[in-house]
Amino acid sequence: MTQDNNSMETPSRLADVKAKVGQIPLIRKSQFLYSYLAFLVVYGIFLLPSKGSPSPVELIIVAIYFLLAIVWAAIVFSDELKSNKLKTAIAFGILILLGWLYYMYSTARWSEMSQLFFNVEVIRKAWPYLVRGFWTTIFLAIAAAIISTILGLLLAVFRSFNSPVLNFFIVLYVDVFRAIPIIVLMMVIYYAFPFMNIRLSAIMSGIVALGLNSSAYVSEIFRAGFLSIKKGQIEAAHALGLNAMQTMRLVILPQAFQVVIPPLVGNYVASAKDTALASSISIIELLKAGLAQKSLLANPSPLIFVTVLYMVMFVPLTQFSGYLEKKMQSSRRQVNV
Amino acid sequence: MNKSEVMIETVDLQKYFKDLHVLKGINTKVTRSEVVAVMGPSGSGKSTFLRCLNRMEEPTSGHIYVEGIDIMAPYIDINKVRTEIGMVFQSFNLFPHLNAIENIKLAPMHVRKISDKEATERGMELLDKVGLVEKALAYPEQLSGGQQQRIAIARALAMQPQIMFFDEPTSALDPEMIGEVLDVMRRMAKEGMTMIVVSHEMGFIKEAAGRILFMADGVIVEEGTPDEIFNNSQHQRTQDFLSKIL
Repeated sequence: MTQDNNSMETPSRLADVKAKVGQIPLIRKSQFLYSYLAFLVVYGIFLLPSKGSPSPVELIIVAIYFLLAIVWAAIVFSDELKSNKLKTAIAFGILILLGWLYYMYSTARWSEMSQLFFNVEVIRKAWPYLVRGFWTTIFLAIAAAIISTILGLLLAVFRSFNSPVLNFFIVLYVDVFRAIPIIVLMMVIYYAFPFMNIRLSAIMSGIVALGLNSSAYVSEIFRAGFLSIKKGQIEAAHALGLNAMQTMRLVILPQAFQVVIPPLVGNYVASAKDTALASSISIIELLKAGLAQKSLLANPSPLIFVTVLYMVMFVPLTQFSGYLEKKMQSSRRQVNV
Repeated sequence: MNKSEVMIETVDLQKYFKDLHVLKGINTKVTRSEVVAVMGPSGSGKSTFLRCLNRMEEPTSGHIYVEGIDIMAPYIDINKVRTEIGMVFQSFNLFPHLNAIENIKLAPMHVRKISDKEATERGMELLDKVGLVEKALAYPEQLSGGQQQRIAIARALAMQPQIMFFDEPTSALDPEMIGEVLDVMRRMAKEGMTMIVVSHEMGFIKEAAGRILFMADGVIVEEGTPDEIFNNSQHQRTQDFLSKIL
């Protein structure tokens, strides 16, 4: 084939694309979407079983209904011409549908929910104990944070000396305490150590276990912070006559802290949540207080209340650490530009 | 002050990186107010040589005398010695968490133990000297490369060193910024600062350097005045190198 032929006669590979310009595919047509929606409404009215526990066949009918609704939503979602507002509304719609279906066909005692889950009278009775549990949780979290920060920072500083022997033991420490589940560590310290005549109170056992576990993570975070500092920074400090301590204090730590704070806050939040594990060694922190009051008052409201309390405490903290991380990334990007 | 006072002397300076023999016995002297340029192809050991002189890089063997003191002697207070030697790096290495004036006064305050007020005053004078008074509160990331390097020079000068080292101070700069840094260095040379400069800035070297050390493969191949080296080189290595960069 000559070059001339090639350019003249080979049809464009985009010919079929060109032919379809201006055509609307079936599933993108509004008639199709409206018909589908109408079908869903009709299905909902005539085929869905009535409220109550469904039979297996009815359950399948409900499942198919929900699946079809999801497919409809997916079609709209994948439409490049539909607005984000519409898509948000549909997302909420699906959530509401899911909640409604669960409400209709689960056999939960919905009518007694306020009595069982949100019983103000029960919570009022449990209140003083829950408050005491709350402060114990806060105390555990702060004590563990202080211990893990001191230990972790020390380990990271020792690690920065780059001594093979020292590093071996530090890596061993970090690996061991990251590997042992916190609850196991707590139980060993509280239930096994007394046999050796090493006696720690429940609360001390909890703090030590949480602190040791968290310190392993904190040391890794600080190590990453130190590693992020360029060699030139240390050289510049030495060239000015700063000794090792001054270089650490005036040049390395201030820069490392900037890098380290977002993951550090994240770690504190995770460690604070782990305080709930202390309930397993008879520490009456928030969870244990809620559980005890649930049994005592024969009503789960305290437990539900405790859950809400954890949420109120940790949702803002989790968001805060996420915010710090984002801020950190954007400021780094600025530096790089 | 004796003009011929020896500020730095090396005797058979050797440096290995593992098996790599980087410096193969360097013998030289730098006297007060002398400006010595170190040139040579990459890998010739010129930066390593400079970095060995304040033990930023640990020499393998040999002797280094700074103002007559053997700084290779055991237990020597190398930090104290380094306060006498200002160092300027290719990559500036300003402290990014401190602004310009804080960068400059950090070492005087913590090493020389002078007051914040005095350090700030002297720092501002140095900023004036490098033409950046108005940038005193700027952070490194807000400054151009040339400005950062001039601040870095001011930072080194703040310790009032007897000797200044420059390790390829203009290699990381955009061409239009090289001039402002070389101007500062030229002025320092005129004021009688003892300087060792690793650089290939021909214009600066011709004008300011009293002597060129030409290094290749870890040895000083040839040394002489800029005129001798540039116009009348005796060695093939030197001639080859110069023909490539001219």
